[in-house]
Amino acid sequence: MSQPKKITLKEAGALVHDGDQITFSGFTIWRRPVALCYELIRQGKKDLHLFEVQGGYHSDLLIGAGCVKIWEGAWMGQEMLGKIGENLARKQIAGEILVDDYSHGHTAGRLMAGALGLPFFPCALAMGTDIFNPEYDQLAKAGLRDGKHPKIPAQKYVMAADPFFGRSECILLPAVNPDVALVYAPLVGDEGTVRVLSQSYNDAEVIKASKTVIVICEEIVPDSYLRADPTANLASGYEIDYIVECPWAAHPTGSQFYYDADATFLKEYNRNVRSQESFDAFAQEWIFGVDCHEEYLEKLGVGRLEELRASQVMGYSTHLKRGKR
Amino acid sequence: MADSIEYCKIGEFKPMDLLAAAAAREVCDGDVVFAGTGLPMLAIALAQKEQAPSAVCIYEAGSIDGRPLDIPTSVGDARCAYQASKASGLFEAFYGQLHAGYVDLGFLGGAEIDKYGNVNCTVIGDYNHPIKRFTGSGGNSDICSFAKRTVFIMVQEKRRFKEHVDYITSPGWRIKKWPSGEWASKQEVYGSYFKGGVSAVITDMAVFRFDDTGEMYLDTVHPGFTVQDVIDNVGFTLNVSRVSGTTLPPTKKQIELLYHTIDPEGIFLP
Repeated sequence: MSQPKKITLKEAGALVHDGDQITFSGFTIWRRPVALCYELIRQGKKDLHLFEVQGGYHSDLLIGAGCVKIWEGAWMGQEMLGKIGENLARKQIAGEILVDDYSHGHTAGRLMAGALGLPFFPCALAMGTDIFNPEYDQLAKAGLRDGKHPKIPAQKYVMAADPFFGRSECILLPAVNPDVALVYAPLVGDEGTVRVLSQSYNDAEVIKASKTVIVICEEIVPDSYLRADPTANLASGYEIDYIVECPWAAHPTGSQFYYDADATFLKEYNRNVRSQESFDAFAQEWIFGVDCHEEYLEKLGVGRLEELRASQVMGYSTHLKRGKR
Repeated sequence: MADSIEYCKIGEFKPMDLLAAAAAREVCDGDVVFAGTGLPMLAIALAQKEQAPSAVCIYEAGSIDGRPLDIPTSVGDARCAYQASKASGLFEAFYGQLHAGYVDLGFLGGAEIDKYGNVNCTVIGDYNHPIKRFTGSGGNSDICSFAKRTVFIMVQEKRRFKEHVDYITSPGWRIKKWPSGEWASKQEVYGSYFKGGVSAVITDMAVFRFDDTGEMYLDTVHPGFTVQDVIDNVGFTLNVSRVSGTTLPPTKKQIELLYHTIDPEGIFLP
């Protein structure tokens, strides 16, 4: 049993290698390891294979910056703040990225099998859809299902009979075991115990399925504080390899009880990155144009961050203007 | 109390208000509802304050039976988990609830639909060379495949109501049996896993339902529109032989609830 090592954002970025299969914590615009994704872009990563239950700002960024060769997932966008993932859409239309679509049930199941050390996951969700149309299996068409690519299963799925109770055929989906998990969590203990403060999404499976686990957190606290209420914790220290302490690391995505999602920032992003040139200008301003995370926060400004700050009672900002009234 | 119901007249409500009211009417008391972001949130909140006080709402990010004080803008929002019985994750939502068979009603959106209720929210054009990319399935196809009833809320346009959708993201009543690709009924493809399927489509013009063969028919037309208006905005031959009348407009009480209690900040409502 070993405890995770405390490292810097730059050191964490260097743990991801070109061509790695990576995955992320969070859900759409919540608890994404954004500061670490900015760092991957600054370090110029290439040919990454993203497997994610669903995408969001953090992965649309990596795709826009040309870091990604393969995207496997169920969904990409910013929810109500920008309907689609502009960079994934542009690159898929241009044929510059291999895309393999699933449903949420499928990606959640594949990750759970990986987390449990099982070879595949059975389910009957979304049968009869084009998700299973062999003509749309882009990884097969690119010749990658030849057994020579350890992160790419030999088949997208198989239909299987129920050998025990004689129920109808269901789908077997291959497990996924990414090289690196990039996880954001609000609280990590000094011995590595991890706690999240609201819905758990797929975060526990993301951690357990992946070979190397980096957790970037709001604050490192004494493990004894988290161990006083063990039912509230998500993961144990020995499941984690590295910890980075980095306040506001999820911005512009939200972190319950710390800060709300930055709706204005996300809306502007989606409006402003519809061409490669405009994405590049955005990246220049917000990623390459700032030397470190502290400079990024200074650029955002105290007023903006204060507006996003969550109520410690409600878990979200109660003074943020969200609607038209 | 029935005599105290006061319906709005044309001009006293906006299209969005009628959509929310019509969608809310699809919720039965006691339903376990699996809903997406936006209009479905208004509909379930409205239903819970009227005819379905014991309806339960599940959001896919993992909040089970939340009782939000402030309307969420995202299904992953802390607002969804306020006073929830459980704040879990996607595995619980999709397997512990949906695959396990607890979900009565799904509320979803889509970009395209065909007459069998197959819905596309992935791409326009050939998947390998698309001309437009949407979000992709997310939970859309899961919910539509396993909820006992699913209601789609969509925009009424000829290019969206198509003979064949460009990509079947979510299964309607006639789907393909993979890997062979032959067409079959949903009952046949799902076999012992079959729980139900698409029950209604609500648009800014009308409400559609499905007959025993799984084919869409026009049920009611919203106030201010005609059957011909609807036919003109559907890209396949629409069955209009079973039209039951005009869609009920929202009541004055529903408008009051929507604008003052459910969405006072004007997040989804105009």
